[in-house]
Amino acid sequence: MNWILIAMVLALLIPIYEVWKDENIWQKMLAFASIASKTSVMILVVSVLRDDWMIGVVGVIILSVGNAGLMLLAHVIKRMNTL
Amino acid sequence: MNDSYVYIIIALLPLSALMLMVQVNPYHALVIRGILGAVAALVYAVLGAADVALTEALVGTMLAITLSAVAVRSSLVMRLGILEDGLPNVEDESKTEREQDCPFAHLIADLRASANKHHLRLELVPYADPQSLQRALIEKEVHVTCVQRSPHQESESEDVQPYQTTTRVRRLYEILQTELSSPTTRLTYMTAPSGEKH
Repeated sequence: MNWILIAMVLALLIPIYEVWKDENIWQKMLAFASIASKTSVMILVVSVLRDDWMIGVVGVIILSVGNAGLMLLAHVIKRMNTL
Repeated sequence: MNDSYVYIIIALLPLSALMLMVQVNPYHALVIRGILGAVAALVYAVLGAADVALTEALVGTMLAITLSAVAVRSSLVMRLGILEDGLPNVEDESKTEREQDCPFAHLIADLRASANKHHLRLELVPYADPQSLQRALIEKEVHVTCVQRSPHQESESEDVQPYQTTTRVRRLYEILQTELSSPTTRLTYMTAPSGEKH
């Protein structure tokens, strides 16, 4: 089942390349949201592969709570652009 | 634990850390710091440290990014003191048309462009009269002042620089002297009495 995780790492490299190349701040924020979701789904896949419930609970918490920081950062950047 | 995908996932961590190191714009660096936190949480979870991953995701990514975003936003600012009567009406509907004929709006746009080059944000602070504007510059409430020069200071034939821009910050004076291309202002440097506030 390792090929699933290797394919997910390859999919994770696409937004990393995007955040490296694109200069627009909102494109970087989109790539950040994509990477945050992809990494937490990868944590869930690893927990299912190893049958480890502790990692699974951590993956669920990161997937549900981790994007709150993204929203706060987006508000600060939006206010910077309007001023 | 000795799976081959572990090495590939761990290799993502120095990759995102290098991207964070070469970034010069502070706001872009904040976004990449969030990406580094997400990748680090993934690496910790894959290596079996679930508690460290949870702490990294909640504190390292969310709290650190929010606090440093507030710090960057409040410190990277250039406060420009102006007079209220010289202020062009920003809320006007025909703003783009006014910008073309008003030289003061041109000057503000030039100042904003040279500040944006150094990732600074320009904040306009209006004052009622020239005395309070001068006092605000001395008391370090603003970094730069920009006023219209009175016409009797020199002869009318030589009046090609109708505005006077004064700064009390040495580094801002150097930046504006090399980059401000507007011919409508004269730039001077004023030494303020030393103090804590900047």
